[in-house]
Amino acid sequence: MDSEDDMHDANDSADDDFYSGGEAGLAASDDGDADYDFADHDSDDSGELLSHRQQQNYSILSEVDIKQRQEDDINRVSTVLSISKSEACVLLRNYNWSVSKVHDEWFADEERVRKVVGLPEKHMELPNDREVTCGICFESCPRGAMSAAACGHPFCSTCWRGYISTAINDGPGCLMLRCPDPACAAAVGQDMINALADDEDKEKYGRYLRRSYIEDNRKTKWCPAPGCEYAVEFVMGSGSYDVNCNCSYGFCWNCTEEAHRPVDCATVSKWILKNSAESENMNWILANSKPCPKCKRPIEKNQGCMHITCTPPCKFEFCWLCLGPWSEHGERTGGFYACNRYESARQEGASRQKALGDLQSLQNDKLEKLSDIQSQPESQLKFIIEAWLQIVECRRVLKWTYAYGFYLPEHEHAKRQFFEYLQGEAESGLERLHQCAEKELQVYLEAESPSKDFNDFRTKLAGLTSVTRNYFENLVRALETGLNDVGPSTSHGTCSKSATSKSLGGKSKSGKNRASSTSSKSGGSNRGVDDSNIWTCDQCTYANPKSARACQACDHQHR
Amino acid sequence: MAGTASQASLLLQKQLKDLAKNPVDGFSAGLVDDSNVFEWQVTIIGPPDTLYDGGYFNAIMTFPQNYPNSPPSVRFTSEMWHPNVYPDGRVCISILHPPGEDPNGYELASERWTPVHTVESIVLSIISMLSSPNDESPANIEAAKDWREKRDEFKKKVRRIVRKSQEML
Repeated sequence: MDSEDDMHDANDSADDDFYSGGEAGLAASDDGDADYDFADHDSDDSGELLSHRQQQNYSILSEVDIKQRQEDDINRVSTVLSISKSEACVLLRNYNWSVSKVHDEWFADEERVRKVVGLPEKHMELPNDREVTCGICFESCPRGAMSAAACGHPFCSTCWRGYISTAINDGPGCLMLRCPDPACAAAVGQDMINALADDEDKEKYGRYLRRSYIEDNRKTKWCPAPGCEYAVEFVMGSGSYDVNCNCSYGFCWNCTEEAHRPVDCATVSKWILKNSAESENMNWILANSKPCPKCKRPIEKNQGCMHITCTPPCKFEFCWLCLGPWSEHGERTGGFYACNRYESARQEGASRQKALGDLQSLQNDKLEKLSDIQSQPESQLKFIIEAWLQIVECRRVLKWTYAYGFYLPEHEHAKRQFFEYLQGEAESGLERLHQCAEKELQVYLEAESPSKDFNDFRTKLAGLTSVTRNYFENLVRALETGLNDVGPSTSHGTCSKSATSKSLGGKSKSGKNRASSTSSKSGGSNRGVDDSNIWTCDQCTYANPKSARACQACDHQHR
Repeated sequence: MAGTASQASLLLQKQLKDLAKNPVDGFSAGLVDDSNVFEWQVTIIGPPDTLYDGGYFNAIMTFPQNYPNSPPSVRFTSEMWHPNVYPDGRVCISILHPPGEDPNGYELASERWTPVHTVESIVLSIISMLSSPNDESPANIEAAKDWREKRDEFKKKVRRIVRKSQEML
């Protein structure tokens, strides 16, 4: 992992500041193959852009893959246990499609398994008469028109068809179908369904069988995106739960909510509950009574604005909505009657939706148009799609950082402050990327003829994309480790600075993000003074040995 | 649909004929209206040596068009006091539950509806229900509470409905 980071740094290190669109943005184009594979839009690799730094611990299964795997499993069991495929299928279904479990149980006690599952060892023949009476309609039919499961209870094909059809139309319970005789537990497998049911029912049965294969198997799940038909197989015990389906939806394997790194599943469910079903109650409680954030005395708000002053001796002034100190409020946060500090969270969801929509319209027609105007082959415009995918992903991360912030313990003051700083930086960085991908692109879309500076635009946007990706990846990692760089009791100012350069370290060296360059502005000169052997580049904050006259990272002259 | 409906009516007519020829101890059965083979009137005789001994309880069995693939519903028209009979008279026993209601197989296969069941087997199940109530999942909660905690009260109420059923004859 680290070495890969370094690779990125090395590629990006020539950059002075990607946000201002330096030449070095070109470096991003050499940035390893992973990104470019992705842009091929083969959709097979769509996970890669977002998780190309991790080993992928899941695979996406199409309908064909699912069928294939299911058949393979059935064949395996059928061969090893020398039973028919249909029987193997019944067995697997009973043991949640786990081949090893079937093997274990079967070889431990075959007789018991046969009894539980309904697969008698001896197949009973139909009675040897020329005419046999159907157990359902009591009609006598010629022996050839009768069928029975392994138990030999004879029913006519009309009655079988009705029985099977009723079961199939009642739902997935039909996969556990047994002989109609109430005292008999013999299983009715797919071979009988195929021999006796009509085509529509056979197809339905097949669908239920495939669904069961995904849903009852602990290792697989359907992608929860509406209308998506891919399934995901996940390897437990490694890395993050994030899964990016080929349909471009990202979700958490563990809780199947939308992907929510850096926040954990419990926080997500709390947050969703807070924002949904129970939100009316929550709103009422939040709106009607709260403990004072300082002295914890309960306060009921019966009128007036959001600026609350606790009664003496506490006299703490705070915001009724977010319970933060009033000193941090004012016009900036929406005045006396509102507080936008957590409103932003909801807007973030909206921005993301919009970005997704923009991405689609881009893919559908704008790209073609742009390719015409700028006379560039579409394959050369992939950097735009990549930028938009990055925007969508970052908006998602940003959205969840609000949940993270909401549940960050009140008393962890340093962490809160640091978190808000990181979040602010992430926001403004993303805004720049978004602006570039939306507004600046527009110029080239409206141009009459190929623009001369289109290549500059490519450089800038690709650079911004790469920088923003790095920033967000580091942000996620920092938040996931619980902002461990920040001690709970250290004083604020210096602490957040040192933590910035440490936890977001990969970049502060090369200065690809505003976070580090900002910190260098306030803290950089100090550091230079503190340590007489090095000097910190004004532009990229790289720590150079005293002997170097120009920055070793960005060639900026040392003043 | 016509096909399955006629299969259902043929099967029901056959059972009607058989029951007329060979009546079964413990109940009598016939159609409510001779033109409709899907609605049966049965009279169940309270099983001997039970609290319901001596009662004559009327019930209506209504068969669906896709019988025998789906179960009929059975409703007592006589007053009834039993943990597994809803206050409005509907009988709640597992073999009358539609087949799809228990996809997870909590009920044993032998307890669910299957097309093998006939008027005779259904009524015999109801008779056995009368002699041994199941208070695990009661349809009539008051009756189940009486049965469990105030057995004397329960007996008294059953004796009253038995008497009433005799008066109605």
